[in-house]
Amino acid sequence: MTLSAGIDVGTGAVKAAIFKVEDGREEWLARSTLRIRQRDPMQLAEEAFNETLEKASLRIDDLDYIATTGEGEAIPFHTGHFYSMTSHARGAIYLNENATAVLDCGALHGRAIVTDKRGKVLGYKMTSQCASGSGQFLENIARYLGIAQDEIGKLSVQADEPETVSSICAVLAETDVINMVSRGITAPNILKGIHLSMASRLARLLKSIGVTDNLVMVTGGLALDKGLIAALGEELAKMKGVEAEVTSHPDSIYAGAIGAALWGAFRYEILVASGQLLKAS
Amino acid sequence: MSQSDTAEIVARCHVLYEDLNFTAARKWKDAEPGRKVIGYMPVYVPREIIHAVGMLPLGILGGGDQLEVIHGDAYYQSYICRIPRSTIELGVSGRLDFVDGMLFPSICDVIRNLSGMWKMMFPGVYSKYFDVPQTYEDDVGGTFYENELTELLHDLEELAGRKVSEDDLRRSIEVYNRNRQVVRQLYALRAQKPWQVPAAEVYLVLRAGLVLPVEEHTDLVEQYLAAAESEDRPLRDNCRVILTGMFCEQPPLNLIKSLELSGCYVVDDDLMLVTRWLTDDVPTAGDPLHNLSQAFLHHSESTAAKYEPNPEEKGQYLVRAVRRTGAEGVIFASPSFCDPALLDRPMLQNVLKEAGIPFIAFKYAENSGQMQPIREQAGTFADSIKLWSAA
Repeated sequence: MTLSAGIDVGTGAVKAAIFKVEDGREEWLARSTLRIRQRDPMQLAEEAFNETLEKASLRIDDLDYIATTGEGEAIPFHTGHFYSMTSHARGAIYLNENATAVLDCGALHGRAIVTDKRGKVLGYKMTSQCASGSGQFLENIARYLGIAQDEIGKLSVQADEPETVSSICAVLAETDVINMVSRGITAPNILKGIHLSMASRLARLLKSIGVTDNLVMVTGGLALDKGLIAALGEELAKMKGVEAEVTSHPDSIYAGAIGAALWGAFRYEILVASGQLLKAS
Repeated sequence: MSQSDTAEIVARCHVLYEDLNFTAARKWKDAEPGRKVIGYMPVYVPREIIHAVGMLPLGILGGGDQLEVIHGDAYYQSYICRIPRSTIELGVSGRLDFVDGMLFPSICDVIRNLSGMWKMMFPGVYSKYFDVPQTYEDDVGGTFYENELTELLHDLEELAGRKVSEDDLRRSIEVYNRNRQVVRQLYALRAQKPWQVPAAEVYLVLRAGLVLPVEEHTDLVEQYLAAAESEDRPLRDNCRVILTGMFCEQPPLNLIKSLELSGCYVVDDDLMLVTRWLTDDVPTAGDPLHNLSQAFLHHSESTAAKYEPNPEEKGQYLVRAVRRTGAEGVIFASPSFCDPALLDRPMLQNVLKEAGIPFIAFKYAENSGQMQPIREQAGTFADSIKLWSAA
């Protein structure tokens, strides 16, 4: 039996997960998420990790491997670090074993990944623009519109005449949105326009790494935004030669932490088998 | 020794690393009247000869990422590597106004040109293009190199206003042998326990040796070795890599730190190659210049910075280094426009490919500020080694 933890330090939130792996069976024991909100991510990572340990009724010494991902490489008590693409690919496969592509939509980046059935990354690309394809941008827009973040998706799917957002720059797009508000465009139509603009860039990213008829699992903080998922489906449907299906999972936000924990367990077993026993520090 | 000793030593080295006014070397010079300082560019110069004349060899490794190049850009094309431009900037901004001579080893045409420029810009400063042999036969390269060493010694004697005896040279060779021994110990310790000896610390400790008197540096390395060995640092599940291609223009310190943060333990590298160019002790019995020449021909580091006449042997040093250090991969990191590193790279990569050793490659400049792409490349490389190397 291997006990492993995964800690994913993102730009907007810290996620932690603990797994028990025995004879190939993966059991998710506990999880925790803390929003960063201008707090120290390292301190939050420790808090989230301790909270997860408590939920799993474990002590740190019980763990065989503590894996970090995202910006978590500076966490002092980690055993090993995995890059975000590696972790999200594995996490996506855990959440849906049929997924062969992953779209990690976090607060700062969008990443498209093609993976095999084992979670091995076959190719990836990140958004080249800064914040315009990201959750931080959507959060800013929600604040301007005076709506809560969890309302974004619900409102977006109610749109009847989405307003096009022309710019790919978050700063200029925000100016667009201010103009729309002053012209009396409704919040659903503004939000849907933004979702379509983001989705169009993300769909191109997916196509550029060879996505054709893949099942695309959306992970990261935006995975639960129904509006974005719907817009992605629409944009992918418009692309020639692409028949990909988009899906997400209620636990998609944990994909990085899940992947890190599972890779940690996998790695621990390799180390044990090769006689290089490495206890979590 | 306690952890604070390591931190103290590294902090001192960091101050020396950041000091582009070379305060330590200036102080050494001012401590006694008549002292002289000889600057040298990477990669190889016989520091023993400078030491024997009673001068301080001072490594000049460009301006790094803290120096804004204004004048230097006027002297070279914009696509050329940055080290010659930032070195010119150091010169014209007066930061090297205490340096009595400059040696430009024959590493590439850019540095060769810099030696000529230095002569024109600073006519009052001794300046020499220091040539090294490309032929490793005793009666060809050996004779040539002995002549080159004799000429350098003669020039420096003239500059110092005194003659140097063979015993002076032998004593200096001994002093540098000792320095190379402790540096070899440092590299051996890092290859064995890379978690105890982070690459960024090794770099700073070695770099201090380019501005401090060699005796002081040997003590410093010994202190660091003792402190690092006694320190309790956690072992991470990182992959073990060899860094290669960084022998001339130096990467920013953040680049080295980023590689480690990305999950790579550096177990060998070609940074600060002047400190390890000669792989064995140079004999002190007999003719010292002949011994230095023989050491260069037959006991010097194989690297992209050195011509390899035997095609069968090309790149094998990397394969051997991988086997010796237990490395799992090689990272080719070279400055943009570095002819010696980048022209050799495809040949070296082919050798690694044939040996089944994974590698990645990227370029940098001494003032590279964006580490995200490098972290991404190194991080995914480390992941692929850790998860799929057996697949």
